[in-house]
Amino acid sequence: MMRIALFALPLAAGALAAQTPAAQDTTRRATLPVLKVDIPPAGTLVAITNATVLTASHGTIENGTVLIRNGKIAAVGKDIAVPAGAQVIDGNGKYVMPGIIDAHSHSGSEGINEGSLSNTAMVRIEDVLREDGIGLYRSLAGGVTTLNILHGSANTIGGQNAVVKLRWGLPVDSLLFAGAPPGIKFALGENVRRTNVPQIPGRTPRYPRTRMGQEELLREVFTRAREYQGEWRVYETARRQRGKEAKGLEPIPPKRDLQLDALVEILEGKRLVHAHSYRSDEILMLLQVAKDFGFRIASLQHVLEGYKIADEIAAAGAGASTFADNWAYKLEAFDAIPFNAALMAERGVKVTINSDSDERARRLYQEAAKAMKYGGASEEEAIRMITLNAASQLGIDKLTGSIDVGKDADIAIFNGHPFAPASRVEMTLIDGRVFFDRNKAPTLEALIEALKRRTRPNTTSGGAQ
Amino acid sequence: MIRRSVAAAIATLALAAPLVGQAPAVQPSSRPDTYAITGATIVPVVGARVANGTVVIRNGRIEAAGAGVSAPAGAMVIDGRGLFVYPGLIDSGDRMGLTEIGSVPGGQDTQELGQYNPQNDVITAVNPSSVHIPVTRANGVTSAVTSAEGGMIQGTAALIDLAGWTPEEMATRGRVAMVMTYPRVGGGGRRFGGGGGQSQANQAETQSRQVQELYEYLHNARAYNGRSNPVPQNLAYAALGPALRGEMPVIFDVQTEGQIRGVLALADTFKLKVVLRGATGSWALADTLAARKIPVVVGPLTATPEGDAPYDAVYAYPGVLAKAGVTIAFQTSDGGEGDARNLPYNAALATAYGLDPEEALRAITINPARIWGVADKIGSIEAGKVANLFVSNGDPLDVRTQVKHVFIRGQLMPWDDRHTQEYQKWRSRPKP
Repeated sequence: MMRIALFALPLAAGALAAQTPAAQDTTRRATLPVLKVDIPPAGTLVAITNATVLTASHGTIENGTVLIRNGKIAAVGKDIAVPAGAQVIDGNGKYVMPGIIDAHSHSGSEGINEGSLSNTAMVRIEDVLREDGIGLYRSLAGGVTTLNILHGSANTIGGQNAVVKLRWGLPVDSLLFAGAPPGIKFALGENVRRTNVPQIPGRTPRYPRTRMGQEELLREVFTRAREYQGEWRVYETARRQRGKEAKGLEPIPPKRDLQLDALVEILEGKRLVHAHSYRSDEILMLLQVAKDFGFRIASLQHVLEGYKIADEIAAAGAGASTFADNWAYKLEAFDAIPFNAALMAERGVKVTINSDSDERARRLYQEAAKAMKYGGASEEEAIRMITLNAASQLGIDKLTGSIDVGKDADIAIFNGHPFAPASRVEMTLIDGRVFFDRNKAPTLEALIEALKRRTRPNTTSGGAQ
Repeated sequence: MIRRSVAAAIATLALAAPLVGQAPAVQPSSRPDTYAITGATIVPVVGARVANGTVVIRNGRIEAAGAGVSAPAGAMVIDGRGLFVYPGLIDSGDRMGLTEIGSVPGGQDTQELGQYNPQNDVITAVNPSSVHIPVTRANGVTSAVTSAEGGMIQGTAALIDLAGWTPEEMATRGRVAMVMTYPRVGGGGRRFGGGGGQSQANQAETQSRQVQELYEYLHNARAYNGRSNPVPQNLAYAALGPALRGEMPVIFDVQTEGQIRGVLALADTFKLKVVLRGATGSWALADTLAARKIPVVVGPLTATPEGDAPYDAVYAYPGVLAKAGVTIAFQTSDGGEGDARNLPYNAALATAYGLDPEEALRAITINPARIWGVADKIGSIEAGKVANLFVSNGDPLDVRTQVKHVFIRGQLMPWDDRHTQEYQKWRSRPKP
């Protein structure tokens, strides 16, 4: 069993303002008992009993049981026998929903914008992933089990994203979601144009500087990618030919280009495109480019004006991953409306609500409820917007995203309906393992209790720096 | 459903396209002066709920509210069966009317040059035409304390209603409080200071110098205000007069326990009437704040805890304060990103982590009315108060609840916000 220290709590670290009232903080210097997270062993038999189960795929089950065997959901329903030896989680009064999938995150990544070139298709989030970002733990505490960690939006093609499970406490390689298809981040609009960041004097601005330049750049790089793909096809054909005839010179392979490799994978439908976009015109542009080059956009990210062109998005088979109600933070977000998610869904678009923030990731369930308030999405549709639909956009819907037999046991347990005001996450399970348990978590209440206990004078030594 | 005994008035109703959860609109020019919301559950927040009650609104005020009340002749009647009447919500801290679009500098009017600007009054710069105003009130938020930011003393904040043709008309209290901050070690990063580019020693030195400057400034202001007919006049010092005489509260926008301790010492020296705002570190001083009757405007809860603080620290501290007996209110601290309408959901997050739901409701209605000295006017459903209220189909803390009608100063607000309009427009776009 692994143990990791979530906080070593030298309470006064950093408070050093001598001779000012703030200096009184230093009187609090003391070391609290270290609060720990236990990582559960894999492969246990777990039963969540007598709970309200929001399956996200086939309605709500009252007084339901979810049986988990070897990390997979083995049974779900009303009359499920609990096998002897199962670890039982009493779900009485609790609500169980699929673990939340955040379709747009930057958590846990040491860098998100390469940005020096307009096309950095070769860089990968998984190379700069960290397992110890506190944002990951806090998302887990908000019922999130899977993140789509994307590059930023500083350039047109940002790089290769990573889909991870929040197996907090395990080494970084254990976070990657095995079986998730590879993906890539595209970006359009103001951020790529760098209109909202100060220009550095003396530095040549990077092309493209306009939306029309972004369109041209996409056509340019995919034209290159097609040529490169063609070179490889010629080579492969020649190699096969030589193999058959067993004579002649070995053909020379084209020079391997990691940047173009990723783009060829897009052309071949092996790499999912997640495209940061806001305005309806740029979205239509991207859909046209994708159509011309024969690939599909897995998800339009942000897509704040998606409601204006929902029919076109639906027809293109693109997913839409949006904010619940953020708006007005920049010009291209000024036409955003909170009805966006529900209106797109109404027109047949597969919609998700994402966070794009360590803060919103903690309460995506509250954000999803806004799709009901604004535009009248059904409860199950709203639940899907943070679970099954996200799994679908990431190509992992056979593995997770709903409470169905055979899927990974990625589950969030709430003390009330996830959309009800006073509800909070009590437990988060990934592959059937309890990675977050509020009863054992270092809460503010626990900290206050610990502070009360440590007023003894002999506990004031050590560790503050 | 709205009906009026004067049939001709029906023609003046501009009925909006049927929307989920949206109500018919009334043009401002056709406003009746008397309304009756009948058969509703009244949630006065200062007393017990009233089932099957009627609220009568006349000439901008609540004329009567209760179970035995009947609709007066000529009143426009709103059938409140199955619905609830709540007092309008009060956001105790945002930038309403001062910002429009985050990234567009021309629309950002929140930050003056320099550190000390007590002479500035935000009420002079509130844009009554801001598109954020109708968007925010559509969710039942009827009042806001709007204030500037940056520097050490920002000037006065304004308590405004989210309706009106001019800033003065909007103001319930145009100069409701002086706004200050208190120097912080490092100004960011770890809990209790630290972080930033400077070494810890340098940060502490900077903070120490800033504290000294603040004390000196207030000393000088106090001396100035003690003189009769000072020449030359100093408008900045003069503006601090009401705060230094204890007649005007001083909002301190602070976060850490260290800052709060500093504020308490400052308040002792200058006899200031303190309202803490933000103050995520205030849980550690809850008993002290309760004993000293210092209210805390908590939030925004849509924030992550600083440094390695417990994951639920920001969600849970309002409950810790309230349990200790501190009067709390909520702010969204919205800086032009359209979050003020989510005020009740800030309160909801606190209820999930220990705050009593009734107290949470009070903390966005009557508590701020008391903190801002306007409890005789707004903050509850009581006869004689200004009719700032809304009708909903449920608990305003529940995201799923629909706000049906919003009244500000007795006037039924039209559904003319940007978001409803865009929704109507694009939802009716023909299939391509």
